[in-house]
Amino acid sequence: MKTNITKEWLKKRAAVDEMAEVSCGYLNLDMLGAEPGHDQAAASRGSFEQDSSRVAFGKLINLWRRKKGLRMEELAIKARIDLAELIEIEKTIDFIPEPRTVYQLAQVLGLPNQRLLQLSGNTVARDPSLGQEAVRFAARSDSVQKLNKSEQQALEEFVKFLSDK
Amino acid sequence: MSEKSVVYLKDRQSGQLVEATLYDGMGRTEVEAAEAVWMPFLQEQLKLMKDRGVPKEQWPQHRHWDWRKKFNEIEGLLAYRMFGVECVSQMQGLMLVTTAGKACRIPSQKGMPLVYVHFLAAAPWNLPSIVKEPRFSHVGSVLIHTAIDLSMAEEVGGRIGLHSLPQADSWYASGCGMTDLGCDPAVQNLRYFEMTREQAAEFLR
Repeated sequence: MKTNITKEWLKKRAAVDEMAEVSCGYLNLDMLGAEPGHDQAAASRGSFEQDSSRVAFGKLINLWRRKKGLRMEELAIKARIDLAELIEIEKTIDFIPEPRTVYQLAQVLGLPNQRLLQLSGNTVARDPSLGQEAVRFAARSDSVQKLNKSEQQALEEFVKFLSDK
Repeated sequence: MSEKSVVYLKDRQSGQLVEATLYDGMGRTEVEAAEAVWMPFLQEQLKLMKDRGVPKEQWPQHRHWDWRKKFNEIEGLLAYRMFGVECVSQMQGLMLVTTAGKACRIPSQKGMPLVYVHFLAAAPWNLPSIVKEPRFSHVGSVLIHTAIDLSMAEEVGGRIGLHSLPQADSWYASGCGMTDLGCDPAVQNLRYFEMTREQAAEFLR
């Protein structure tokens, strides 16, 4: 479809467009799922792996922090994020953090932002292996204070996987 | 494959209209490239707002949007189309519309088909809610003009509809001349705006 938007027409709109806010759309990302023609079955597929991804995200942050010997407050300061949100990330299974928080954590952890956005549930992962690896990683960690050898190995392998793609 | 048209945006630094490209049919690469630049910029600005103590109610209301996720949802679905406006090699605005499944609500055209604008956003550096001095203006007008053009091409008379984010209510009402049908409880109480054939013709004049 071609369009014909002329300079003359835009000049007439100079006043109304100056400093204009123009956004429209739902406040939430997921409302497209309610639209006619949208594949509800496809939307529900992979929800188990999405839950496991979010669990894996929380555990990744938790294990990495403990490996570095950081308290939650220290990681929150280092990453310049809310402590309350960090607590939610580590302790609440179905919590989806704000994209900015994920970005900040990606910088501190030295991992690709895109991968962490997928893991945290902010974006949809196209790579099916991410969900599978996330399930395996989430199942291998424990909740003792210091990382045991098994947790250490699980963390190193999962970080390597995230960094490789 | 994208179809391209020449359009113009106003470079607010120079005050001049500069040539831009309207893409009809965005591909995954273009959408990912746009978000790869938009998101870090937006996140940095949000951090600055937080440091300045700007109340969250004044933060941009679409700050959680991710156009890559939107693209994933609609890829391959014929009823959805994504448009982009590019200038100085960066995406300056994006719009996602549907051409099916939506009907007019204004009594004089109730039940008639229209083009529904699902999402529309200018790049974060173009919005006064995010930066003190926006870079380009006319992004919204170019995209709404495009939505009306599509409505004409689809033979539904230029009729369009959308749910505005509160920060943009006055622009759709006064700036675009759309009819305000009030808050829609089915869509997060966002205001629903609609354009008649006559209002579309007036907008394009």
